[in-house]
Amino acid sequence: MFSAENLISVGIAALLTAGLYAIMSYGLAIIYGVMKVINLSNAGFLMLGAFLALVYFQRWHLDPVLGAFVNLPIFFAAGWIVHRLLVRRVVTALPIASLLLLFGLWLVLQNLALAVWGGEDQSIITAYTYKALPVLGFRIPVTRLIVFGVALVVLSILHFALGHTYLGKALRATVQDPVAGLLVGIDTEQINAMAFGLGTAFAGFAGGLLTLLFSFNPDFGGTFQLKSFTIIVLGGLENLAGVTVGAAILAFAESYAVLFMRASLQNVIAYALLVVALIVMPGGVAQLLSRRRT
Amino acid sequence: MQRFVRAVSAVLLAPALLLGAAAIGRPPGTWGAYTSASEIKIGAVLPLTGPFVASGTYFKQGYTMAIDEVNKAGGLDVGGQKYMISLTILDDGSDATRSRSLVEKLVTDQHVNFLLGGYDTSLIEAQEVVPDQYKIPYVEGGGAASEIFKRGYKYVFGTLASIYNMGKFTMGFIAAQQAAGKLPKPISIALVWENTDHGKDYETAVLEEAQADPGAFKVVLNQAFQLNGSDFSPLLQQVKAANAQAFLSDAHLPDFITMHRQYLQAGLYHQFISYGGRGPDQKGRQALGPGADYLVAAVWWTPALKDPASQLFAQKYTQQYHQVPDWFQALSYDTARVLLLAIREANSLKGPVVRDRLSKLVMRNSLLPGGVIRFAPDGQIVAPYVMVQNTPGNTVRIIWPQKLPESRDPILPLPHAQ
Repeated sequence: MFSAENLISVGIAALLTAGLYAIMSYGLAIIYGVMKVINLSNAGFLMLGAFLALVYFQRWHLDPVLGAFVNLPIFFAAGWIVHRLLVRRVVTALPIASLLLLFGLWLVLQNLALAVWGGEDQSIITAYTYKALPVLGFRIPVTRLIVFGVALVVLSILHFALGHTYLGKALRATVQDPVAGLLVGIDTEQINAMAFGLGTAFAGFAGGLLTLLFSFNPDFGGTFQLKSFTIIVLGGLENLAGVTVGAAILAFAESYAVLFMRASLQNVIAYALLVVALIVMPGGVAQLLSRRRT
Repeated sequence: MQRFVRAVSAVLLAPALLLGAAAIGRPPGTWGAYTSASEIKIGAVLPLTGPFVASGTYFKQGYTMAIDEVNKAGGLDVGGQKYMISLTILDDGSDATRSRSLVEKLVTDQHVNFLLGGYDTSLIEAQEVVPDQYKIPYVEGGGAASEIFKRGYKYVFGTLASIYNMGKFTMGFIAAQQAAGKLPKPISIALVWENTDHGKDYETAVLEEAQADPGAFKVVLNQAFQLNGSDFSPLLQQVKAANAQAFLSDAHLPDFITMHRQYLQAGLYHQFISYGGRGPDQKGRQALGPGADYLVAAVWWTPALKDPASQLFAQKYTQQYHQVPDWFQALSYDTARVLLLAIREANSLKGPVVRDRLSKLVMRNSLLPGGVIRFAPDGQIVAPYVMVQNTPGNTVRIIWPQKLPESRDPILPLPHAQ
């Protein structure tokens, strides 16, 4: 039924979607990796990132890509403050405390957006919103290409920073063993605050980028949150590099599965993968690979 | 401890028992009896937040306009007595469970005499179990799936012509364009529809027409999608692979905006595109910009209708809300008006009497094409559609039926720049 051209076209679309998924899941992975806290407010910050990009666009005609970069320091600061004021107080309590706190924060952010911008769908249309680039006979949407490219650059910078800077190494050390990190002199409190800020910055950044692809309203982000959970579980909860692999698995599974099943079941794929990953490989792809090596 | 439990139980049970006793002592159809002697209470539950907020807000505006008009004229004459109308609107957040319970709350707590419907099919289906239970007439203009009216409810009336008829009307239009040489015959169709009764109605109509005339229509893709979906890219890959000449999609406003945006980004093209009733909506046009140009839609009403009633309504609405109305506002306005007319003609505030009046009512100054509202035995209106096409510069023109004086030639096949 499907020609080779169709299948390649789906593959290209899946690859581009994987970049999008990776950028929106990284924040969640960093926060969980360092603090073992599931940041349910991630979707709220993602949504706020989209609305702020809209504000920049409407007031100063700032392109959403630049808007996403402007979001980075703003959301880093917001995350830092949220950590100092709220999250820090529950991080050592039972997981349900942080879950409820951050779920509540998500609701507050949603209602804040509702009060400020109303509940209607908003969208940003740029000169290149509907443009597509012909590459080797395939038409590639410019917006998807930009999101993929920007995601690739930002994630490469992050990987470099994690591997070559003191803060990055301290962050990775805290992910691996917070107690050992403390013993060797890492200020884990500061690292936690930085991780929460960084995670929130990524959410705001992703929100700005997503405006290139989707219309949005205060409910925006919920579906992406589920996908982000699936991705970080697939990648291995404490494995930052695994996020990219998890994003690719989900994007390719969704894109190709829909060719052979009802599109209305598209979201089931994420749920099914989440369940399978939790049962068969709770440590994600990273654990699966390390098992093979041993 | 036992004493404490008993005390708490008594505190919790007392109000419930009192309410139950009040309910037992009250015959059905008299739930509005607490109302003051000179006031009629009408209630509605609308999605004023959540995915359907835009449509819900439009419905609120339409209902309010119709009721304000009556109140400004001194109230509604029922059996020689003038009644002022009060309208209570609650927000269900586009959530079906909340929607149903809020409608019940309107009846039991607010003691409304009559109910106006919510918006969309899925929420109407949740709400419609309440009216018959309390024998309170319920008129809605936000749910068009025929399934709403197949459940045997006697107190539910709808002013939207069915989605099934919309599908048939759209296929009839395509056939006429084939005859005019504007579309190929046979034409291959990629059909996608939201996975609700709304979408199933549309799918059934399109498939029936295709089966009835295989020489004219060939459905090469038939796919359902999730309502309020966030990403339709994989579905659109299938649409692309189907290589069809026409693209038919039955979608609500938020899904239409997301899907068509991604359709254009994917560089897809079809000679004919219709998203059912979506396309000319102001919200859709704002969200999609020139991307919405040339889309074809079957709608229940459009400001492009030149009859005096439609023009007067459009003028009044624009003066009050500083925007151009879509069918949402016109239909909700007419929905409230048809209920008020039934109350007046029934000369009674009793639910069963007004219900009987609604079943026989003929409203002749309606905004709908043809100007008449009357309900079939199942409670749903039988009314024609008009086919419209978006044109550049945020304009909409009527392209079908040709007998309408304001009807213009459709621009088909769609321009490639689309």
